[in-house]
Amino acid sequence: MSAPSGSLASLSEQLADAVARAAESVVAVHARPRLPSSGVHWRDGVVVTTEATVKRLDGITVTLPDGARIDATLIGRDPGTDLALLRIPTGHLPVARSGDPGTLRPGHLVLALARLGDDGPRVALGTVSATGGPWRCWKGGEIDRRLQSDVTLYPGFGGGPLVDVDGRVHGVNSGGLSRPFATTVTAATVDRVAGELLERGYVARGWLGIAMHPVRFDPGARERLGLSRDAGLVVLSVEPDAPAGRAGVLVGDVVFAIDGQPVESPEQVVDLLGGGAVGRVLALDLVRGGARTRADVTVGERPRRAG
Amino acid sequence: MTAAFAAEAASRVRGGVVHLRVGDSAGGAGVVWPGGVVVTNAHVAIERRIIVRLPDGSVVEGETIWRDPERDLAAVAAPGLAALPPVEPGDAGRVRPGSLVFAIGHPWGIQDAVSVGVFHGVGPIPAGIGVPEPIRRQAWVQAAVRLAPGNSGGPIADADGRVIGVSAMIVAGLALAVPAGEVESLWRGARP
Repeated sequence: MSAPSGSLASLSEQLADAVARAAESVVAVHARPRLPSSGVHWRDGVVVTTEATVKRLDGITVTLPDGARIDATLIGRDPGTDLALLRIPTGHLPVARSGDPGTLRPGHLVLALARLGDDGPRVALGTVSATGGPWRCWKGGEIDRRLQSDVTLYPGFGGGPLVDVDGRVHGVNSGGLSRPFATTVTAATVDRVAGELLERGYVARGWLGIAMHPVRFDPGARERLGLSRDAGLVVLSVEPDAPAGRAGVLVGDVVFAIDGQPVESPEQVVDLLGGGAVGRVLALDLVRGGARTRADVTVGERPRRAG
Repeated sequence: MTAAFAAEAASRVRGGVVHLRVGDSAGGAGVVWPGGVVVTNAHVAIERRIIVRLPDGSVVEGETIWRDPERDLAAVAAPGLAALPPVEPGDAGRVRPGSLVFAIGHPWGIQDAVSVGVFHGVGPIPAGIGVPEPIRRQAWVQAAVRLAPGNSGGPIADADGRVIGVSAMIVAGLALAVPAGEVESLWRGARP
């Protein structure tokens, strides 16, 4: 089978077109010594970049596609999803054209874009390696979709967009979350985090104020208590003046269900505390002193570390 | 896009790629340049006498006739080169970021291996990557294409099979090549 002459050249043209289109919203972000990182003009006047590459709070500048270097101010940062938001004057650049990451399948060609200075955009080509549903990255943030690719994120590529062959932006590439595959924080998560950062400058995470560890009930206790499963989470500590303590949860309680759903790992509880959980009431089914009881806990906001 | 992908364009260039060795070294690649001479890196052609493996597998002895260590270029003459199809040099300045490029060389001694990637640009290397300033400021063809030891001196070509650079270095994972236009003008100026 021989390739029709020019098919490679036309694919090449298509890729260069996609880069030219998407690169109009890609800037260089100067927020650390030496090498800049990249950023995407996500909404008018708002640039998204990676949190880990923002090393200073003042004196941040960005280089626009036309080579002009302008001042930017930090709106907020979310280490959990490795995103940070910068404000630049409105009306300078087109806003990134978003794609639907749900349309990407393993094997699709994708491009990682970057900008490192006043010269042209930087690009890496690869294929989508893995896709999937919501997941929690190792830095703790929830991401609405798994999108990993084998593009090489060269130095300075963090904060740049992952782009399809039509030039649509599917999310922001994170160097910090990538290993071994390049990880993209997908568009819906960037939207959500950007919204929260614009609203209050940080991302609120739910908090109960208890530490828990998995335990198993012995068959006799399980039968006597009428439990459907033998697994639960024993409360090891209760923080003073925290939501669980205020609702009456005590050290030694064994939580076996939350809102009627069995729980057997602390990660399941953490999953219930993300994305808008603050203020919600969770019904904790517990075993205390050999009897079943219930505590209604209003999810609080996890205290933020200084700095 | 076809299943053959880069095969057609790569096979066109491959006929103009040789393998160069000095002594027991793994060596590097060389490009058959118009005029019947092999262009390679100065760091590949480190001695006057050099072993040249032609694309048909035959091995001949070549002679290094020009070296420019500052630009890391060299030229090697050898019997049989005039009969080979030279590569077609191209202008890296006309290639757009994101365009497909491919490299041919002998990474880790693998003969005529092709790697595909995308073009970044041609110009100085961005500051902050840790390259000595005199090297950084030279004009380089920069591409996200995988190179390894053994690619040195080999071509980086565009999707039409035009050679836009001679691979010279890997910096921060990026392929850096001497632009074909500079190869042409430096070699023309040096030609006896």
